[in-house]
Amino acid sequence: MAGFEGCPGSKMQDLRSKEKEKGGVATAMPSQLAQWPIQLHLISPSAPYYQGADVLLTADCVAYAFGNFHNDYLKGKSIAIACPKLDEEQDVYEEKIKSWIEDARINTLTVLIMQVPCCMGLVELAKRAAASSKRKVPVKYVVVSIQGEILKEEWLST
Amino acid sequence: MDEYLNKGIKELIVEFPKTGDVLQRYNIGCVTCSVGTCLLKDIVGIHNLSPDDEESLMDELSEVFYPGREPAPKKAHRKTEFKRREIKYSPPINKLVDEHTLIKNFLALIPDIIRTVDINMEDGRQLIKDGVDFIRSYADRYHHAKEEDILFKYFDANLDIIKVMNEDHQKGRGYVKGILQGITVKDKRVIAEYLNGYRELLTEHIKKEDEILYPWMDQNLSTSQIGEMFGRFNETDGKFADTETKYRNFIKELSNKIQSPVQIPI
Repeated sequence: MAGFEGCPGSKMQDLRSKEKEKGGVATAMPSQLAQWPIQLHLISPSAPYYQGADVLLTADCVAYAFGNFHNDYLKGKSIAIACPKLDEEQDVYEEKIKSWIEDARINTLTVLIMQVPCCMGLVELAKRAAASSKRKVPVKYVVVSIQGEILKEEWLST
Repeated sequence: MDEYLNKGIKELIVEFPKTGDVLQRYNIGCVTCSVGTCLLKDIVGIHNLSPDDEESLMDELSEVFYPGREPAPKKAHRKTEFKRREIKYSPPINKLVDEHTLIKNFLALIPDIIRTVDINMEDGRQLIKDGVDFIRSYADRYHHAKEEDILFKYFDANLDIIKVMNEDHQKGRGYVKGILQGITVKDKRVIAEYLNGYRELLTEHIKKEDEILYPWMDQNLSTSQIGEMFGRFNETDGKFADTETKYRNFIKELSNKIQSPVQIPI
């Protein structure tokens, strides 16, 4: 049996490869970000770009790991980012998510997380907020590997 | 192979009757479809087969279409039993699947209804009328209306699979007319014939939707469309405020009445 190797979220991994050095698109890819700010502590859930929107709640690391983040997920959506492991005062986060659902009457919530176990905390936060909201919306979560692949994409029961 | 992948399923089964047997082995029940114009390539794509199963199916079909031709070298022979991938529905589609469960509970009661009902008694005729009310109000107006007026509108109305589903709904309405006719003339044989017809039709129809149509639709709807549809379903449910509770209670009471208890989902 393998011994304890420490927190998978902080474990050092070297992902460099020759193929990666060669890869990447030659043309500049335009940003799909359509708002500012984006950090969950800084945003106001009542901002106009959240009204009736498809909202993306993304763990901080996702946009770095997932190469096509802008085109595949951010395009057409409003966003907030957070880290369920390091951020403080997460009860405020729960209230803001609830406010998206009830006050901004968002259309859907998609939670994007990394595969590391601590990231699941962001999904749990969204689940709690959705469960305590009077209004219901479809909530989906997407798990991204540290190599940038989509490991799972699944709707949560409402 | 492309020439056959682009042909309608009915045409292929007529030309190569063994095609039907091969499809049945992979739980693809299109053989009995009355329309049969779906292209083979669409049928294979829509049935949610694992990559291994899809490869095996194509090998077997190739042997049917090109008898005697040297088969392509196989990567591995499929030894395990066919298993469909686990289906995870989006919230609005899941709502429709839940409604199917209650309809299936009613369908399961039909043989006992036919066995026990005395249509010469007012109570017996009322029981059949109550069943017709469930079909019309819950299965058709409440459930099928959401499909026809909302879900199907996100897709091309000319798609064969949508045509087949709408045709099933129409046939169901025809069976209901037959049941009512049986009540009017107090003929149990007529009632039984149309009730059984409805049961067979809806059993197959629900299976097609739960296992094939809905997963395919889920894959083809955007996140935004799922959210929009969820909202529209909630609006519709709001208009039929007590329908869900009323008919869940009805099935429970009907089950007790004919002494054939069924599990009613909460």
